[in-house]
Amino acid sequence: MNTSGFGMDTISLAGPLEAKLQAMKDAGFSQVMLKANDLVGHPHGLHAAVAAVRASGLRGTGFQVLRDFEGLSGHLHEYKVNIAKSMLQMCHALGCKVLLACSSTLTHATQDLDHIARDLRKLAMLALPMGIRIAYEGLSWGRTVNEFTTAWDVVSRADCPNLGLGFDSYHVLAAKTALDEIDYLDPAKIFLVQLADFMWQETRTFEERMATARTLRVFPGEGVHSEALAELVLKLDRLGYQGDYSFEVFNEDYLNLPLPVVCERARMSAVWLAEDVLRQSTPLPNSMRLKHTATRG
Amino acid sequence: MSDMLVKDEDAREPLQASFSDASNPIGLDGIEFIEFATSKLQALGQVLEMAGFKPVARHRSREVLLYRQGDLNVVVNGHPADARGAAHGTDAPAIAAVALRVRDARAAYAYVRERGAWEVPPRAEVMELNIPAIHGAGGSRIYFVDRYREFSIYDVDFVPIPTVEQRPPAVAGIHFFGVVQYIGAERSYGWIEFYRELLGFELIPDGQRFGIMPKGKLLRSPALNPATSFMLQLVEPDLHVYDSDEKLQRIGLGVPDVLQAVQALRAVGMEFVETQAAHTEARGAITKTYLGSVVFELVHSDKLGTGGA
Repeated sequence: MNTSGFGMDTISLAGPLEAKLQAMKDAGFSQVMLKANDLVGHPHGLHAAVAAVRASGLRGTGFQVLRDFEGLSGHLHEYKVNIAKSMLQMCHALGCKVLLACSSTLTHATQDLDHIARDLRKLAMLALPMGIRIAYEGLSWGRTVNEFTTAWDVVSRADCPNLGLGFDSYHVLAAKTALDEIDYLDPAKIFLVQLADFMWQETRTFEERMATARTLRVFPGEGVHSEALAELVLKLDRLGYQGDYSFEVFNEDYLNLPLPVVCERARMSAVWLAEDVLRQSTPLPNSMRLKHTATRG
Repeated sequence: MSDMLVKDEDAREPLQASFSDASNPIGLDGIEFIEFATSKLQALGQVLEMAGFKPVARHRSREVLLYRQGDLNVVVNGHPADARGAAHGTDAPAIAAVALRVRDARAAYAYVRERGAWEVPPRAEVMELNIPAIHGAGGSRIYFVDRYREFSIYDVDFVPIPTVEQRPPAVAGIHFFGVVQYIGAERSYGWIEFYRELLGFELIPDGQRFGIMPKGKLLRSPALNPATSFMLQLVEPDLHVYDSDEKLQRIGLGVPDVLQAVQALRAVGMEFVETQAAHTEARGAITKTYLGSVVFELVHSDKLGTGGA
């Protein structure tokens, strides 16, 4: 069985960082998607958090999340550039190679896609010396970019090697974007795929999408959109996507459950995807390129 | 008609520079200096002297030396914090910075920051020059210098070493040819974009190579004066090689006659690699690795002072 391409997010678990990492390892995961407040909220500070992640042996799938970066001007833009730099520094300290940036929800931000593309290109340039790639994700309640098709348009306009798409199944399903659109993506430009199912059939308004996204997501296979999710993953696989899948499951209930219980649910989900949906083969010896890297900068 | 019969072709119009303003956005005009950082000031100095450089001045406030030959300036920074930072905790000397000549440093600095360059906080002492810098590969810096025509930046920050010739001639016509940068796996296109976007470099076709170390991708800098253009070579690790370090690995020195230059440098103690894979020939030569990291590459380059050839 090969579930190494799947990882959990720290946001699905309650408690201290070390306990989350240990629980994921115990459940057999080898990678973890980290969030900024795992580091800054650590009781012994940033360095201790970085040391804990490194000591865990888990590979960082990516680091999240930079919000509302693009489309601003003047002092707002300068402010966001500074925030982005701090995020990049934390991402780099952790050895994570992907920074997730979500589409802007601000009404102050321009809706000009070329302006948005220009800002994202600048962000990618900032990240480049550190060897970090920017995964740009369309939030389903983003003001201008709220579907992956628009996000892909922006990424294509920006045309920068280390700027690609962050693909979150929740937002795709919530916004009801046609899955056939996946066929038009370049698999090499999808830098991260986040998977989550959810419990409502419909999320019509932005408010509903936001509330559901933040409290009632479940692991793939646990919700009512399993079929669509399986189709989505198969489409990505057929397209040639070879990157990581991370479980972006925000769930209020899970934050009140023992960590091993939640991790077991995640493990079952990974097994379902790897065995039943993708029927992944185990990698052949010597056919892998090691993903763990330690670029300095 | 009669005019054309008596005049040769070059006399019709002056030859134009190969880069327009648009393709040289910051008015790049070659390299002002290369900075090495090391805690082994003396040992590195000795290697530089074997490469034909001579120490000519000392920094006013820091443990920094200026070496020179012909138009090449090499700054050796022995400031402990810099040496440690640039070498990432090892004790091997590292190329810590490349200083670029630009038309207007302030404008260049603003231009690159606007496009996503990451500035380095300035830290000039009293009465010293504040040279703007951005982050480059592997923690190295890229400086922007605009005072190279009317007066020299070294006059401000450095004190000449007494009795030493301040402008020692280049050995065997050595001039600056380029920089070799090691990059992580699958990072070529990222770095190409970085240099193109911020500095206006252009990619050279894969068939066109210079010297005896042709691996990787080659970029050419734009230049106000075509003679000051220089090369940047990006080298990825081999597939399945576990090495994702990024750094400025070596500098390439152009010489009109490689064999003669090798002879001249051998006479002052430099050793060259002579193996099946890399050996001295008319196209180029490469020195032994000194102090665990310091290498110089010689590249055949016809005209004296033409970085790009």
